[in-house]
Amino acid sequence: MGTAPDYLDPQLAYTTQAVEAHWISYTGLLTYRHEEGEPGTQLIPGLADALPRISDDGKTYEFTLRRGLRYSDGTAVRASDYPYSIERMIRIPWGGRSFVTNYVVGAADFDAGRARSVSGITADDATGRITIRLREAYGAFSNVLAFPALAFVPRGTAIRNLSNDPPPGVGAYILTDVVPNRSFTLRKNPEFASFRIPDIPTGNLDTIRVNIVSNTNSEAQQVLNNQADIFDSGDTLPPALLPQIESQARDRFARKPVPSTFYFFLNTTKPPFNNEKARIAVNMAMDRDALSRIASGFLETDCFFIPRGIVGHPTSECPYGDRPDLAGAQRMLRDAGLEGAPVTVWGQERSPRKEYIDYYTDLLNKIGFRATERIIADTVYFPTIGNARTDPQTGFADWLQDFPNPSDFYLLMDGRSIQPTNNQNFSKVNDPFIQRELRRLNAVPATELDSVADEWAALDEYTARRAYVAVYGAEAVPKFFSNKLNFDSVFHPLYFNDWSTLSLR
Amino acid sequence: MARFVIRRVISMVLVLFAISVLTFLIFQAIPNGDPAVRLAGRTATPEQIELIRQSWGFDDPLWQQYLTTMGKILSGDVISYTQQLSVMSQIKQALPATLSLSIGAGIIWLFFGIVFGLFSAIKAGKFTDRALTVLALIGVSTPVFLLGAVALYFLAFKVQIFPNGGYVPLTQDPIDWLYHMLLPWMVLSVLFIGVYSRVLRSNVLDTMSEDYVRTARAKGISEKRVMVRHVLRNSMIPIISLWSLDFAAVLGGGAILTESVFNLHGVGQYAADSIQQLDVPPVLVVVMLGASAVVVLSALTDVLFAFLDPRIRLTG
Repeated sequence: MGTAPDYLDPQLAYTTQAVEAHWISYTGLLTYRHEEGEPGTQLIPGLADALPRISDDGKTYEFTLRRGLRYSDGTAVRASDYPYSIERMIRIPWGGRSFVTNYVVGAADFDAGRARSVSGITADDATGRITIRLREAYGAFSNVLAFPALAFVPRGTAIRNLSNDPPPGVGAYILTDVVPNRSFTLRKNPEFASFRIPDIPTGNLDTIRVNIVSNTNSEAQQVLNNQADIFDSGDTLPPALLPQIESQARDRFARKPVPSTFYFFLNTTKPPFNNEKARIAVNMAMDRDALSRIASGFLETDCFFIPRGIVGHPTSECPYGDRPDLAGAQRMLRDAGLEGAPVTVWGQERSPRKEYIDYYTDLLNKIGFRATERIIADTVYFPTIGNARTDPQTGFADWLQDFPNPSDFYLLMDGRSIQPTNNQNFSKVNDPFIQRELRRLNAVPATELDSVADEWAALDEYTARRAYVAVYGAEAVPKFFSNKLNFDSVFHPLYFNDWSTLSLR
Repeated sequence: MARFVIRRVISMVLVLFAISVLTFLIFQAIPNGDPAVRLAGRTATPEQIELIRQSWGFDDPLWQQYLTTMGKILSGDVISYTQQLSVMSQIKQALPATLSLSIGAGIIWLFFGIVFGLFSAIKAGKFTDRALTVLALIGVSTPVFLLGAVALYFLAFKVQIFPNGGYVPLTQDPIDWLYHMLLPWMVLSVLFIGVYSRVLRSNVLDTMSEDYVRTARAKGISEKRVMVRHVLRNSMIPIISLWSLDFAAVLGGGAILTESVFNLHGVGQYAADSIQQLDVPPVLVVVMLGASAVVVLSALTDVLFAFLDPRIRLTG
C-alpha cells in the first residue's frame, strides 16, 4: 500500500486505504453485497436481521439486531451499543458526520455539545430493536448506515483516536498488530462464520499483512516479481512500468473503472462561464480520448455527471457529441463575443491531474479564450477553490462516491451546497429545475432507487445539456496481484479489492 | 571549557527558537493552510469547521498558538493534526531507521572520501587521479532519487540481489538489517564521497607544499609518517567540519529522498509526509531535531579541532 490509511480507528477513517480494511472488520446494521459492478452497490442487512422498515413519511427507520452476535474480543453485541457507536463517531469526530448530524433528530445538538445524547436513536437490548428518527426524509440514509464508520463498537469504547489499537468489531477479520504508517495485519475472525450472516463472506486467507511502501515503483516491482501479493488499487501504477506489467502479468492485471466523476467545473456566476455558450463550447471541443491517454488508460471516458455503475446513469448520446468539434466551439465562442476572454484555470500538482489541466488550458486557448494555469499544492487545493474569496472560474474537480447513490453526486449540483468555505458546488449551480427534482428524488429510499432510475437519468441529461460542468470520465484503478493469488476475487465498486474473497492458487 | 559550553548552549537555544518561529510562521503564511478545514473533511458544515477551530485552538492569537504548540512539544504531548498520533512516539519509532542510515552511510562516505581523496592527491595528474576525478564528478552530479531508483530497478528488481526497499530492525535480525541497509548506504554515500574526495584532494595538495611538511621530509621522517601525521591530520579539519554538518543533517531527517525511495520509514520520510499534509507539529519537531543535531555536532567538532590542531583553542 503506497498511502497509509488516514486512521485505523473505524470511526475516524474516511480514505479508501482505511475502509477497504474496515469493511471486512467492522459491520454495521447494513452493508453492501460482496459483488462486482452494479450488484455490489446493493444494500444488504449486516448486523440487522433485515433491511430497514421505513415509515411512510420516510423519517423513521426500524431495525432488529441479529441474535448471538459477539465482538472480536468475545463481548456480546447489544442493541444499546449502537447509539453509543454513533455518539462516539460524532464526538471523535468523523469527517463525514454531517451525513448523520444533518438528518438524525438531536444529532446536531449532540455535535454542538447542547445535548448529552442523540435523542433520535433509541435501542432496546431485550428485543434488539433499534429505531432511528430523521428530521426530514433522506433517501440515501440507508447508504449512510452502511459506512464502516457507523459500525458497531462496544459501549464504553474510549472516545479518542484508537488507530494504534483498533477497538473490537464484528467482521470476518480482526484488525491487529498496527504499527502506525508502517504496517497492520488482518487476522481471520474464527467466530464470524458461526453468526451465519447471509451474503457476507467469512474469508479465505488466515492472515493478511499490509505494508505501507512509500515508493510505488517498489510496490509495483515487488508484485510483478511475486515478492508482494497485491498492489493497492488506491495507488497509481508508475507509467514507466505499465508496459512491462501489461506484457508480463497480463493474467493478473486489469483496469477497473470505479464510479467516480472527473470534470472541469465552470463557474456559472462569473464571466465567461455565466454564458451558456461558453460552457457548451468547452463541452463541444473536449477530446475525452486524449484525456484518457494522458491517464495511461486509467480513465473511462464519459460525459454525464452520474457515472456508470450508479443508478440513474443516462444511456443516451452525449448532448454535444462524442467526437471533439473544435471548429464548432470556436464559432460558438465568436458568436457569443467571448473571444479573448481571460480565464484562470485551477489545478492540482499531482500527476495526471496537472497534465489534465495542461491539456485543458491549451484547449481553452485553442477555442479562443486567453487561459492561464494556476497550479497549487494538493493538500490545499479543495479548501482553496471552495473558498468564496477565491471564487475560481474553472478548473479540475472530481468526486469519488461516498456511497453508491446518485444523490451523493448531486450534492455537488445542489444550490444548498454553495458555502462560503468548503464549497463543493464549484460551478455554483443553482438551477430551480434541479432543485425541484432533487427535493423529490433525494427522498426516495435507497432500497427503492431502481424505481426512479429513469427520472435521475432525465435530470442528468438536463444537466449535461446545460453544460454546467465539462465531464470527461470516471477513474479506473489497477487490480494487480502476484501469481500466488487467484485473480477471480471480487473487485467491489466501493471498497475496491475485497480482501475477504482473496484466495491462494 | 565551561565558557565554551555555556556559549554553545545559549546559541543553541537561540537558534532553535528562531527556527521554530520561522517554521511556524511559514505554515501560517501558506494560503488556505487552515488545518480546521482539512481536519473537518470535504463534507463538513461551516459550524463543524468552527467547532474544530475552537476545540483545537486554531482561533487563538498566533503567538498563543505558537506557545501552546511549543509547550506541547517540550512536554512530549504534541500530536499531529492529520492522524492525531503522538509525534514523539512516531519519531521514536522512526529514529532507529534514520540512525541506521546515517551512521552506516556516514562511516562509508567518510572512509571512502578519505581513501579516494588521499589517493587522488598522491597520484595527482596521473591517470588514477583523472579517473577518480571523473568518478567523483559523476557521484556529485547524480541525484539520490535517480541513483536510488536505478539501483533498485537493476539490483533489486531485475537481478534481485538486494531487497526492494524496507527496513528490518537491528534487534530483530542483524543480518537482515545489514542486507536491507547496504543499498541505501551506498546510494546515500555516493554524493558525499564525491564531494569529500575532491575537498580532501585539494587540501592535501595544499598541505603538501607547506614548509613544515618539507621540514619533516628534510628531517628524514618516513613518507608514510609524513603523510599521516603531518599532511592528512592537517588536511582533515575542513573534512571533519563538513562531515559533522552533513551527518547531523542526515540524522535530523535530511535524507528525505533516500528514506522515501528505499521505504525506510525514518524521520526524513515522516517529515516529508507531514510537509505534504501541511501538518505543523511533526514538521516543527523534526526541524528542531535536525537543528539540535547540527548545533550539538558542530560543538563536538570544535572540540575535535582542538585535538587535531593544538593552535585552535576553545577559549575566547
